[in-house]
Amino acid sequence: MSRAPAPERLNRLLTIVPWVASNDGPTVREVCARFNVEEAELLADLDLLFLCGVYPFTPDTLIEVDVADGRVWIRFADYFRRPLRLTPGEGLALVAAGEALLAVPGADPDGALAGALAKLGAVLGVGGDGSVDVELAPVEGDVLADPRRAEEGHRKVELDYYSFGRDRTTTRVVHPWRVFNAEGEWYLTGWCEQAAAERLFRVDRIRRAALLAERFEPPAARGPTALFHPDPDAPVVVLDLDPAAHWIAERYPNEGVARRGGGVLRVRLRVGERAWLERILLRAGPAARVVEGDRAVAGPAAARILERYRRAR
Amino acid sequence: MDRLERLVNLVAALLDADRPLTRAELRTRVGGYSADEDAFRRNFERDKETLRQMGLPLLAEALEGERADEQIGYRIDREAYELPDPGLTEEELTALRIAASAVRLDEPWADTASRDALRKLAATAPAAGDSPGRGDGGAPGAAGGLFGSRPEPGFTELGGGEDVAVVFGAVAECRRVRFGYHGEQRLVDPWRLSYRNGHWYLAGLDHGRGEAGEERLFRLDRVEGGVTPSGERDAFDRPTGGAAAPIPTWRLGDDPEVEVRVLVDAEQAPWAVASAGAERVVGRRPDGAVELALPVTSRRGLRSWVLGFLDHAEVLGPPEVRDELVAWLEAIAATPGPAVAGREVG
Repeated sequence: MSRAPAPERLNRLLTIVPWVASNDGPTVREVCARFNVEEAELLADLDLLFLCGVYPFTPDTLIEVDVADGRVWIRFADYFRRPLRLTPGEGLALVAAGEALLAVPGADPDGALAGALAKLGAVLGVGGDGSVDVELAPVEGDVLADPRRAEEGHRKVELDYYSFGRDRTTTRVVHPWRVFNAEGEWYLTGWCEQAAAERLFRVDRIRRAALLAERFEPPAARGPTALFHPDPDAPVVVLDLDPAAHWIAERYPNEGVARRGGGVLRVRLRVGERAWLERILLRAGPAARVVEGDRAVAGPAAARILERYRRAR
Repeated sequence: MDRLERLVNLVAALLDADRPLTRAELRTRVGGYSADEDAFRRNFERDKETLRQMGLPLLAEALEGERADEQIGYRIDREAYELPDPGLTEEELTALRIAASAVRLDEPWADTASRDALRKLAATAPAAGDSPGRGDGGAPGAAGGLFGSRPEPGFTELGGGEDVAVVFGAVAECRRVRFGYHGEQRLVDPWRLSYRNGHWYLAGLDHGRGEAGEERLFRLDRVEGGVTPSGERDAFDRPTGGAAAPIPTWRLGDDPEVEVRVLVDAEQAPWAVASAGAERVVGRRPDGAVELALPVTSRRGLRSWVLGFLDHAEVLGPPEVRDELVAWLEAIAATPGPAVAGREVG
């Protein structure tokens, strides 16, 4: 067993000692479970603790540690009577996790997690007034319910799905493998019978979901799901991006970014869906220029939208 | 002497003392420091740094002393050290453990932080007897009601960012923060920290705006050069009742607020309403299209949002906002077309 560094062990001891000292001989097993520590690590720390204490380190000023019959006692460590407060990073990690799970549609607002967060918030100073909150994605509760039931029961589901890339709504039968959240958005990944391939769906673009009676066989092993995997055969577009459009290089997987003069980035993208490229170019405007590939994307798209404005007036 | 032993003794000495202790006194009371003066000073500095990184409230105070190293005394602020008892039940502790395993922050320090936080909280709850109090066994009620089953580990990952923990601490302590944003230095009362659309946002009072400051929203990954806490704790009162709605892109700016009317076609209407909020709907057309009234503080954000619908949405008014969008589109439409004639691909 490799020893953890001294600061990590110190942090652990300062937490475990007050609890063991205030309980009458808890079992080693319970201490290990409660503090998520291996028995060998705990015993090594305790072995060292009985050498510690305060000046002048006479027997009556040393910490007393007894391990017997699988139980442990700690005495004469009154200066360690309370655990140390949480650091901001520790508080954030727990509060953010709890708030995120509580934001999942269907979570019980009066359950144990909500109770824990209220108590934790009160101790940390962020309690009760919405000063820290996490929302994963703005979806209606019932949109998630059916895919999730389908995932759990291995039942097929029929979706009316709006494809952002194609700018079109289609109906398809899907074997939902997994419903998950990433970067604040809900996704459903599974086998699409129409495409006869694995597909990723954004839950907020599901217009209708109907649970089917038919079941499917879930795949044995699933690799990690990539959120965006462009078709390797899709045409390449190379863009020059001014700083105002650098978000394109940061947000989307690409096949290479090169720095040019004047703060310009040259990025190489695979573009499977025309509407996707239209949106990017319309948003970026003059800050993004096509230098290789189809140059007639943004202009015609802008003209098409302008058509609507002219019609309306 | 083992470094861990020395560190335990150092914390014990600091907590046990009823007055600040000088470096020389600590050297005697801790034991285990080198007899060599330079090595002692180096190790003492290193130990102090370790304690501060762990979040120990180690204070250095001025003393009336003859020699230079007798003029600084060290102590630990016991009140700031001790975690008050939050009164968590075993079931609530389990719920937090499940949450921490299901949701992780995308930061290198986050896993250690949540492990250490759970240990500290576990130390506040009474012993459960011989049944282990660990979250992977009992207390089915803690996870129940979420999905009917427990969320799998790694169920969700939240974006991180160096500054989020600093801002969290400042919100908790009601301490002002300084940071650069859009090329300006800001002094802000941090009121609320929110995670929306994959990003962390800070809402607070920007003292550089107006006479008494104005409420502003900052995306933390756009902060320039880090966030620094500034001044004392409890420097302000947080207003109660935070906004819990998602923050749309058209709110993410400093522009004067304008109410903008947008029409979205039937097919995209559900998504538009979910993203803008049902309270923004001011009309529905017979064909299912919705008319929205948006309080816009970012014209650029509005443009991105509306263009996301391609030709399925339009800005109805006010005229200057509509004209601005038309001018933007006309500029794009007028940009020279294909460099190579007939190269257009469908």
